[in-house]
Amino acid sequence: MKIALIAMSGVRVKTQTLAELGVTLPQFVNRGKVVASLPSLGLLTVAALTPPDVEVEYFEVDDLPPENRALIKYDLVGISSFTARINDAYRLADRYRAIGVPVVLGGLHVTLMPQEAQAHADAVVVNGAEGAWPKLVEDFKKGQMKPFYVGARKGVFEPGLYAKPRFELLKGRPYNRITVQTSRGCPLNCEFCAASIRITDSFQQKPVNLVIDEIETALKITQHPFFELSDDNTFVNKKWSKEFLTAVTPLNISWFTETDISIADDEELLNLLAKSGCKQVLIGFESPISHALDGMNPNNWKTCRQPGYVDAINKIQSRGITVNGCFILGLDSDTPETFHVIKEFIETSKLLECQVTVMTPFPGTPLYNRMRAEGSLLKDEYWDRCTLFDVNFTPKHMSVAQLEEGMMCLFKELYNEKQFLMRKRHYMEIAKEILS
Amino acid sequence: MGENSTEQKLRQILSEYLKQDLTDVPGNEDLIDYLGLDSLSGLNLLALVEKKFQVRFDDEILWSLRSIEKLCDGISLAQKQMSDL
Repeated sequence: MKIALIAMSGVRVKTQTLAELGVTLPQFVNRGKVVASLPSLGLLTVAALTPPDVEVEYFEVDDLPPENRALIKYDLVGISSFTARINDAYRLADRYRAIGVPVVLGGLHVTLMPQEAQAHADAVVVNGAEGAWPKLVEDFKKGQMKPFYVGARKGVFEPGLYAKPRFELLKGRPYNRITVQTSRGCPLNCEFCAASIRITDSFQQKPVNLVIDEIETALKITQHPFFELSDDNTFVNKKWSKEFLTAVTPLNISWFTETDISIADDEELLNLLAKSGCKQVLIGFESPISHALDGMNPNNWKTCRQPGYVDAINKIQSRGITVNGCFILGLDSDTPETFHVIKEFIETSKLLECQVTVMTPFPGTPLYNRMRAEGSLLKDEYWDRCTLFDVNFTPKHMSVAQLEEGMMCLFKELYNEKQFLMRKRHYMEIAKEILS
Repeated sequence: MGENSTEQKLRQILSEYLKQDLTDVPGNEDLIDYLGLDSLSGLNLLALVEKKFQVRFDDEILWSLRSIEKLCDGISLAQKQMSDL
């Protein structure tokens, strides 16, 4: 038996003027390119959960042969995709099914919209693959595959459910970044979040020894890889974090992850982080305006933390770790003046990198449900516009056009060569203080 | 300081920092590719060289300083600019 696993990543901005602007601002597309070039850790995990007597091949969608003849050699096809490319995934699934190859769909979007996905699949996997995929394959072998399989929402890193991703499937491919997951979920529970929090009941932490084993395995198949932890919030548990940082330091790797500003509260953790090879942490500040953050988290965590943003950035960056500060445009209280406030904050805080996106109501999120109830969504179905740059709702205190224009002006001010150079120069000055 | 001694000192500084012997690395070899460095590690190298040679490279040439030869040229240029001030 032979299974093809097909990853679909990368997004294309739909708004024409913004797409054209992106081409002229290289720094604007850098992070997007990085994300688009990451391998699918989810499918490598699916491969690991496949019984050993079944042959598995991993593909990026762009590497697929164009002829149907080449596709027909598989007994089963598994496809995973983001919301922005889910319609491409559905078209690919329809193509396989038309030539008689059964298709399984999975991933975050499919988990949140399983009924929609079912119209394009022989089976749909909801949540992660742990607890679902092995049963699906066994049922398929017996000719008894069911339309829905529900993966585990807890205990996914415990024996019986956990499987080490099959990094060896990436061997010989041109990936320069490798993803490793250390946790699923995030206690901050932001209203807009469409990440792994939607497939877990609570925060799931992978034991340090398993994470280290995965990194060591991945190191065997690539030269000089840069590791990207595919977590939503890596350092939630400070005790685990220190244990992990101590264990990862001797591996001498360079890596990146996402976290929150509470890491700045812990000097010991910051010092360990600096020694560990961590080059950058991505932190969702969302807005430099305190009241704009009201209601974003159930306990207003970000509102409470906003006054400490600049101090936290300085503490982290002074260790030579760059902070990639994320900001969201189009929050409920945002006005046409907000763009300038964000620009001023990014400049005065001396953030070494920034990522500004537009608020995006991903289907199935609390934000989507609220906006739908409020009648502020521009269309009922806009999945290919869930790019983080296309506007899909009517903002409360400005027009759609004002939001789009304000965003484009801000991008021009933030992502030009002069700003890029200023940030790099600032990094070099910090590095000079640290280097002996 | 002559060009040869600059190159010798540069190789020594980089070797010590990277904990890797760079004595035999060709002068025109792209160090970022050769060492498999990410962009921030590349900036660290530039910062280290600026600090050790007490120079400041022109922003316009910063990204071209990727080999021992180019770094030596950059150091010479920066030193000349400083002495011209």
